Amino acid sequence: MPTSHALHLSRLTHAWVDRPPLFEIDNLSLPQGQHLFIQGPSGCGKSTLLSLLAGVIQVQSGVCEVLGRDMAKLNQVQRDVLRGEQIGVIFQQFNLLTYLNVEANTLLPTRLFPSRAASAAKEWGSPKKQAESLANSLGLKTSLWRQPVNTLSVGQQQRVAAVRALMGAPQLLIADEPTSALDESNQMEFIELLLSTAQRQNASVVMVSHNPKLAPRFDQLFEMKSGVGE
Amino acid sequence: MNLWLSLAWQSAWSRRFALILVTVSVSVSVLILLGVQQLREDAKRSFSNAVSGVDLIVGPRGSATELMLYSVFQIGRPSKNMGIRGYEDIKLMPQVRWVIPIQLGDTYKGYPVLGTTATLFTEFKSQGRGLEWAHGRAFGNPLSDALAVNEVVLGAEVAAHFGHQINDKLILTHGADGGPEDTDHDDHPLVIVGILKPTGAPIDRSVLVNLEGFESMHQGWGMGISPKALKSAATALPQAQSAVDLQPVNLSAVWVGLHHRAEVFSVKRKIESLSRDPLMAVLPGVALDELWQVVKIVENSLVVIGMMVSVSAMFSVAAVLLVAMSGRRKELAILRAMGASPRALMGFVLIESVMVCFIGIVIGYAFTQCLILIAQDMLRTQFGVMVQPGLPSLQALISIGALFSVSVLASLLPAWRAYSLSLMDGLHPPSV
Repeated sequence: MPTSHALHLSRLTHAWVDRPPLFEIDNLSLPQGQHLFIQGPSGCGKSTLLSLLAGVIQVQSGVCEVLGRDMAKLNQVQRDVLRGEQIGVIFQQFNLLTYLNVEANTLLPTRLFPSRAASAAKEWGSPKKQAESLANSLGLKTSLWRQPVNTLSVGQQQRVAAVRALMGAPQLLIADEPTSALDESNQMEFIELLLSTAQRQNASVVMVSHNPKLAPRFDQLFEMKSGVGE
Repeated sequence: MNLWLSLAWQSAWSRRFALILVTVSVSVSVLILLGVQQLREDAKRSFSNAVSGVDLIVGPRGSATELMLYSVFQIGRPSKNMGIRGYEDIKLMPQVRWVIPIQLGDTYKGYPVLGTTATLFTEFKSQGRGLEWAHGRAFGNPLSDALAVNEVVLGAEVAAHFGHQINDKLILTHGADGGPEDTDHDDHPLVIVGILKPTGAPIDRSVLVNLEGFESMHQGWGMGISPKALKSAATALPQAQSAVDLQPVNLSAVWVGLHHRAEVFSVKRKIESLSRDPLMAVLPGVALDELWQVVKIVENSLVVIGMMVSVSAMFSVAAVLLVAMSGRRKELAILRAMGASPRALMGFVLIESVMVCFIGIVIGYAFTQCLILIAQDMLRTQFGVMVQPGLPSLQALISIGALFSVSVLASLLPAWRAYSLSLMDGLHPPSV
């Protein structure tokens, strides 16, 4: 398998205990640097798929290669390290630790994984400088830097989460409905900024969303069907 | 600072109100545990110190513990007396360095009155130190000075409590209960000639008079009824009695000091085989051990109660933190998304609960010491127990260590919960 693929999935299925398989993905590949939009009805296993890609849950059957690594062959610790070093994650909401200020939240990945701090330092001089640069391109004022995160609007919080996910130039960004808490006009703007910033860092993006209007901005679209086993 | 430590601290600080309450509950339980323990140890120590200078306590045959309690600590009262001849026989034994006769029975406003001789002031040692004078001098010898019968010496605490000065006059009460006015020795006022420095021994709480003085107060008393009450006895007591007439015939006990401690058993045998009077000679240490045997059950149950309170506090810490885990699922998921392993998160939670227990224990210890400092005077004056704040004893350290181990064990519960929650939730904690 060429390592230039961010993702390579084949005959990947997953089922929770005593349930029929949630989904079956015959073949899905994403070249490095490209952006994938995943769409599908509720309960079709989108979040489970993201958990597999992020290495939070163990692959049951099929092939799941992420950034050239076969997730089925990695143990829990190795998958955690892969995620910590190479992958950024954005949730729908509540991405931030409320007891840290904005700056401390953004710097957390580089403090947890020295390799991320190293790559931030290599490209931008220091993690702090990268955070400022990312904030700038995501339209986040650095005047918010020292504020507690709960004083920020949801839109601002999502931008902080995006800054944090992209710190240390991870190769893959996983976003689970990052815009669903935003209003319509903000959604588009946020996606534009997120994708262009990711592009600048040559990060692949995998995003799940309910909103088909966002799809045209992505290189690939993958449609998940509900309950293949039902 | 280590990243996880600093995160744990900031996370805990954001939930400080609940955690402070938990810490306080740990502190209080530590206070109970350590307080009981220190009181126990200090009580034992001050008891043994009080008798440390006496080699043998001699009294009428009976209970050794009882003899020691009433003669040294003025707790309880003698049920029978020993004859004065025993005292004189012991005095003549070559191995004996000094003898101090003890006569008990009267009180002064609740404080025990001790009839003795001036030997007490020169020979008695408390905590290894002899008695020292704060003011005045010892009472005189009535055999050479008739007025000495009316002289009295006060222990430091008695003097301080009533604000008595040299030359003040006191009236003692017959018996221990401070009963009706009739039983006052108001026909026999005493003059204070000396006040002792504090020693920490029960002598601080004593009013000391001559054996002859003690006797003179009781002359003319029959069946515990004051001569004043006996209307028929209209004839006034002779004003100046001969000191020889005032020699007591009975004593409550005798303290004996030897030239060589090694001879204690042979002297004990000798005293107990005196033919004139059935006597008992007791080694204070042995009598104390007997006493500890008696109070051991109470003592142990106090320690067990303290232990149980502490252990339950530790588990309530675990319970509170366990409940709080549900609210921290998001926090765990966020850290998990950033690559933190479940094991790291377990440690992250463990740090917090261990810190809470640790701080609780430290505060509890400091609290105990402060309280001891505050209650020191009250304990000394009310119970004659000298407590001293200070570094924890070995036993206290063992308790603290045990408590800390229990707290770490209890802390594993929320930590394990964090571990399983972070595995279960992954990136998707239920939104609360």
